[in-house]
Amino acid sequence: MAMLAIQGITKRFGGLVANDDVTFQVEKGEIFAVIGPNGAGKTTLFNMIAGTFPPSEGKVMFDGAAISGRPVAQIAQAGLVRTYQLVQLFKALTVAENVMVGFHRVTTGGVFSALLRPPAMRRQEREIAAKTAEILDFVGLSHRANVTADLLPYGEQRLLEVARALAASPKLLLLDEPAAGLNTEETAELARVVRKVNENGVTIMLIEHDMGLVMQIAHRIAVLDYGRKIAEGTPDEIRVHPDVIAAYLGGTEGYDD
Amino acid sequence: MRSSRTMTLPVTTSTSGGLPWRHILLAALGVLVVAFAFSANGYVVTVIGFAAIYALFCTGLNFFMGFTGQASFGQNAFAALGGYGSAILTADYGFEPAIALILTMAFSGVVALVVGYPTLRLRGHYLAMATFALGLITYEISINWTDVTQGYMGYSGIPPLGIGPYYADTPKQQLAVILILLALGVLAAAALKNSRFGRACRAIAGSELAAGALGIPVARYKLVSFVIAALYASAAGSLFAHFVGFISPEVFGTAMVVQSFTMLYLGGIGTIAGPLIGAVVVSLLPELMRGLKDYQTIGYLVILLGILIYAPKGVAGLLDRLLPKREG
Amino acid sequence: MIDVVQLAQNLINGVGLGLIYGLIGIGFCVIYNASGIVNFGQGVFVMLGGMICATFLAHAGLPIWLAALVTVPVVALIGVAMEVAIVRPMWKRGASIFAIILATLACQMLIEQVTLLGLGDQPRTFDSFTPGGPLMVGGVALPYQFFWVLGCGALMVAGLWAFFTRTRSGRALRACSQNAEAAALLGVPVRRMMMLSFALSAGLGAVAGILITPSQITAYNIGTPFGVNGFIAAIIGGFGSAAGAVTGGILLGVFQALAIALLGASFKNVAALSVLLVVLLVFPQGILAQIKTLRSSRR
Repeated sequence: MAMLAIQGITKRFGGLVANDDVTFQVEKGEIFAVIGPNGAGKTTLFNMIAGTFPPSEGKVMFDGAAISGRPVAQIAQAGLVRTYQLVQLFKALTVAENVMVGFHRVTTGGVFSALLRPPAMRRQEREIAAKTAEILDFVGLSHRANVTADLLPYGEQRLLEVARALAASPKLLLLDEPAAGLNTEETAELARVVRKVNENGVTIMLIEHDMGLVMQIAHRIAVLDYGRKIAEGTPDEIRVHPDVIAAYLGGTEGYDD
Repeated sequence: MRSSRTMTLPVTTSTSGGLPWRHILLAALGVLVVAFAFSANGYVVTVIGFAAIYALFCTGLNFFMGFTGQASFGQNAFAALGGYGSAILTADYGFEPAIALILTMAFSGVVALVVGYPTLRLRGHYLAMATFALGLITYEISINWTDVTQGYMGYSGIPPLGIGPYYADTPKQQLAVILILLALGVLAAAALKNSRFGRACRAIAGSELAAGALGIPVARYKLVSFVIAALYASAAGSLFAHFVGFISPEVFGTAMVVQSFTMLYLGGIGTIAGPLIGAVVVSLLPELMRGLKDYQTIGYLVILLGILIYAPKGVAGLLDRLLPKREG
Repeated sequence: MIDVVQLAQNLINGVGLGLIYGLIGIGFCVIYNASGIVNFGQGVFVMLGGMICATFLAHAGLPIWLAALVTVPVVALIGVAMEVAIVRPMWKRGASIFAIILATLACQMLIEQVTLLGLGDQPRTFDSFTPGGPLMVGGVALPYQFFWVLGCGALMVAGLWAFFTRTRSGRALRACSQNAEAAALLGVPVRRMMMLSFALSAGLGAVAGILITPSQITAYNIGTPFGVNGFIAAIIGGFGSAAGAVTGGILLGVFQALAIALLGASFKNVAALSVLLVVLLVFPQGILAQIKTLRSSRR
């Protein structure tokens, strides 16, 4: 069964058609990338999947259930966790605390358990601390655990965002242009981490400008142009697909995404 | 997540934690203030008592503003509810002060829930003005609903704190009770801060977008945080009524808002120790500025403005700079 | 049974007071549009207008027109001082809006305290601009001061309109409010515009204070209610245009007058504040935000 099924999604903003009847499926366990020139409608599609706004037509199925039209927090609660193109860290919190917040979805407890600290809650806190250490180790940020997030260099902020999303044990991780603003070295590090996350069983869907990164890590790719899907396939297929080449070479000065 | 190494993480937080002697320093200062209060005359007891009551008030406000990153310019409304509630229940209806304290807290909490539900959808200037209006409405009502509040005259004859046969008859006994409640309040705030709930609140302050995307119910947590602040404010209002034995609308006026903000910003907003430091320093300021007489309030306001402009992180922020945290 | 004449009288009073709220409301809008800041200390200018004018009248023996002419620039200067000493440094350091709001509120209290020390806590008032009156129309008393309020109010709105459309500075200020960055690129001195907006808004507040003092009283602590009511006027009017704020003010004034007729005078502020909450909550995103959305979609 597909982890994510996009079924005939259309989004109109006034007279503007941002997505036009887009259909594809992300299979369990793969890394799926959506690419396309500026203004192709990638971000719009992404926001509809994550629940920022509902599609005008069509359906988003996640793990067998229709999620289109549900609020962001509920979709996240179901196991679809996203990152943002402009990093959205909790800047006053430490790196470790940022990751700890990520566990919100998979932990329990409110005001009363915080005040009374029953044994189950203390155990949970210990587990969170231990898992946080593992995750930071996993993405290579252990040495920064107790630094406040706003002091991190940009590349590490990206990694922290991925780490925080991982803490939520996502079934599907949505990465919104994860390499934006990173230098080659940082991009390579990010690629390594994303692959490792995927090897650990997390399905990943990303939208990305950096073709190098996409060709390197994606198992399958869908290409959008002017809101429509013009191609879908493996990196090798996409590389030689005539429509894709045309879209990328033939002037694509569109509205900004 | 498989990992070749497992390491245990020292769970420290952005604001507390770090070098233990920073805690020790603060604790020692606290002990010093308390010891001084108990060895000194009645006037000092009163000043420290007010400081402790304000510290409780600010600890609640700090949870809503410093941790959850929202703003309420009308917390005085809940202090008024607490103060008048306790006064009326104990003086007119003969309730036990301790029972009255808890009942008014519950009532204030319910009011905060009902009022906060629509109000907290607002942001920025609108949130500030709407909460400010809540405080003003309560103030106007406390002046004009004379049947219940006795208007400008104020409400007197409020008994001291106590329960059953145990009454805090002397100011020093009262101070002891207030300090114990303050300690409980601060411990509760610290426990909340470093919990799943508290981290989620602080995440909301950082980015509502990202908090929502991690499954945190942003609106609900803001509301709970508002209710928590209201409970603290209500308790502070009740304690004030019992400590002084008299309340009037002016006690819970706009001056209270500005005074508590001065404490919060001076001490350091968003830290556990900040409200305590701020409350003590600001309460002692008039003593230091005795020579200023009529210019005292002006002195306050100038200090507040100076802090807002030049040291927005307050004394706690200064400590952070002087005694930096360990890294890694 | 409500007395019709009394009700009409209340309504007339409400319109006069509402126009004053409108002038204060315009002050809020002018600063907000230039800087994105809502000045919570706006009411203090109203207090200063009345108090300083009363002082000039009582101690310097100036005629009312001269006293008013001197008072307005003095208050405008105080507004500029507020901008230069407090708002701008915080703005430059990227202070949070809550901190800036608090600072403007603290600034209001500071000015109130200074006024209290300098002029005492006694309420003051002065005579209507023209002696005699009131004009009786079917049992309803129209004090001459009411016509002064109407006339000056209309004059201020017309003057502002001319300023914003006909003068260089006015057009520059409007440009800032529409897009500060673009305005800066076009050579508009954005910072000076912020200062100008504070001067303008303080001056408006002073005019409002001078106009209202003969029919009410003024004292060091009247700022907050006037400020809040002015804010409500601005919000009802959509926080954009001068005409909107004046309309909002008159609506509020009339509503308050009705509330006084029905509930008694002591709850008029509660009624006004309830209007504020209702307006705010009916537009949960804030009317400001809606204007912004419109603006950015136009861009």
